[in-house]
Amino acid sequence: MTDPTPLLSLRGIGKSYGPVVAVRDVDLDIFPGEVVALCGDNGAGKSSLIKVISGAEEATSGTINLRGKPVAFASPHDALENGVATIYQDLALAPRLSIAQNVFMGSELTRPVLVPFLRILDKKRMIAESQRYLSQLSAAVTDMTRPVERLSGGQRQAVAISRALRWNAEIIIMDEPTAALGVKESALVLDLIRKLKSDGRTVILISHNMRDVVALADRVVIMGAGRKYVDRPLGDLGADDIAHMIMAGNAKAA
Amino acid sequence: MGRIDPRELIGRYGTALAGLSLILFFLIFAPNFASGTNIINVLKDTSFLAILALGFALAFTVAELDLSVAEVASLAAVVCGWMVHAQYPPAVAVAAALGVGIVLGSFNGFGVTVLRIPSLIMTLGTAAIAKGLAFMITQGVAFVGRWPVGFTGLARGYSFGIPNLVLWMAGATLFAWGLVKWTRTGAHMVATGEADEAARLAGIATARMKRIGLLLAGLFAGIMAMLLAANLSSAAPNMAGDYLLYAIAAVLLGMTMFEPGKPNIQGTVFAALVLKVLGNGLVLLGAPYYVQDIVLGAIIIGSVAFSASAMKKAAFKV
Repeated sequence: MTDPTPLLSLRGIGKSYGPVVAVRDVDLDIFPGEVVALCGDNGAGKSSLIKVISGAEEATSGTINLRGKPVAFASPHDALENGVATIYQDLALAPRLSIAQNVFMGSELTRPVLVPFLRILDKKRMIAESQRYLSQLSAAVTDMTRPVERLSGGQRQAVAISRALRWNAEIIIMDEPTAALGVKESALVLDLIRKLKSDGRTVILISHNMRDVVALADRVVIMGAGRKYVDRPLGDLGADDIAHMIMAGNAKAA
Repeated sequence: MGRIDPRELIGRYGTALAGLSLILFFLIFAPNFASGTNIINVLKDTSFLAILALGFALAFTVAELDLSVAEVASLAAVVCGWMVHAQYPPAVAVAAALGVGIVLGSFNGFGVTVLRIPSLIMTLGTAAIAKGLAFMITQGVAFVGRWPVGFTGLARGYSFGIPNLVLWMAGATLFAWGLVKWTRTGAHMVATGEADEAARLAGIATARMKRIGLLLAGLFAGIMAMLLAANLSSAAPNMAGDYLLYAIAAVLLGMTMFEPGKPNIQGTVFAALVLKVLGNGLVLLGAPYYVQDIVLGAIIIGSVAFSASAMKKAAFKV
């Protein structure tokens, strides 16, 4: 079993958009090094919950504790600095910029030059480090100056994950990482997630793909109508069982 | 890197080579084009356009259009000329010109990022305001006079045997290039222009980057205005208006070379030179004055047609 003190702990989280309640009173503990799958049908409140954790939006109610201390992320940047990185479904990469530019976007490395107080971009080091992150993920890309738009979907995921590694994120939230990918590319992304786990990082995986969930998750959390109603170790659950639980939850909500 | 793709080479250097051939063509065939004085004149003339276009390119780098640069420059020139005319020291006049650029550039930035007005609309409004103010200050006439050499020398003088105007252009180019290519702020500006949302999620203060881009467009307009007034010893309320289309053409033509589809510093400056050579060469070949405008329009349309659709999207999202 995992470490008994949660890395991330949510209590009574609620999120409303005007009169629309997207998340109701969710308690959730995430333990270090585990892969937690967050499932649920469309409109179940998964994305809203993730936005709250990732700092993209503020919770309407409830508290978040990170490593035992209360936190309130004002922005995604704030969350990144606290070691919580989110890899969004649409990837949040700049397609025409290079791999290195994308990995170091917002946290570029600089070096001093002869002029005092002036620091210029350390392009060589950014290229070398990007290469290091990507090889760590065993992604077969060699030219860090290549624009991201020329990469395959799986390779782009690797670039997005490299940015999270660059921030040394302890918790990596992945929103539907395989949704737009073919079979081969999906397998590559599953391997990336396994690498993150073996590296001791914590992953929150949002997925509609039950096979991915069964292949990767230590724990399954299912939401419906804004509430969490299943939270259990994966155990011997199969893809069909989880799908049934999601549908049962829908029926209950309706 | 690695293999060289001929299509990519043409994409990168095709129009630059065409521009270079054009320059060679005029050097050989246009009467008097190759004379020392004419070349110096073309280079000086290019400086005004290049500096203004660089400002436009910096705003475009953060994916904002600044259609006010020319009118802001006219207003800055008028304020500057007014100061010189009233016998303030040249330094004060220069500061006033730059100040006008900075204030109106910041005003554009405020409108775009705080009031969330699309830059196309915001800067058109600013252009109209600047134009009105310029006519208000001059009451429709121009400031002309025997201005002190301390001021006119900024544009007309030489340093180290090089025309000051050319040095200003070199300085502006170096500054813009260094900023965009070698600083964190520049990298953040580029990321903001390329993918606004991605940049924000990566922790970049995108609104601030947009304000910086628009402020620099104003500042460069101020520098250009100060040089224009100094070079002509006069300041008229409509003196820079004609530069707008040329500046846009320089930036768009520049986007077809070196880094295709992206506003880029080296392309902008080279394209400014090509446009000025074209104008000068056509005159020397005896082409009627209106041919220039027709060619300019064709270049603007052709450049955008030539570039990738990604750029059209970035440029014309209103």
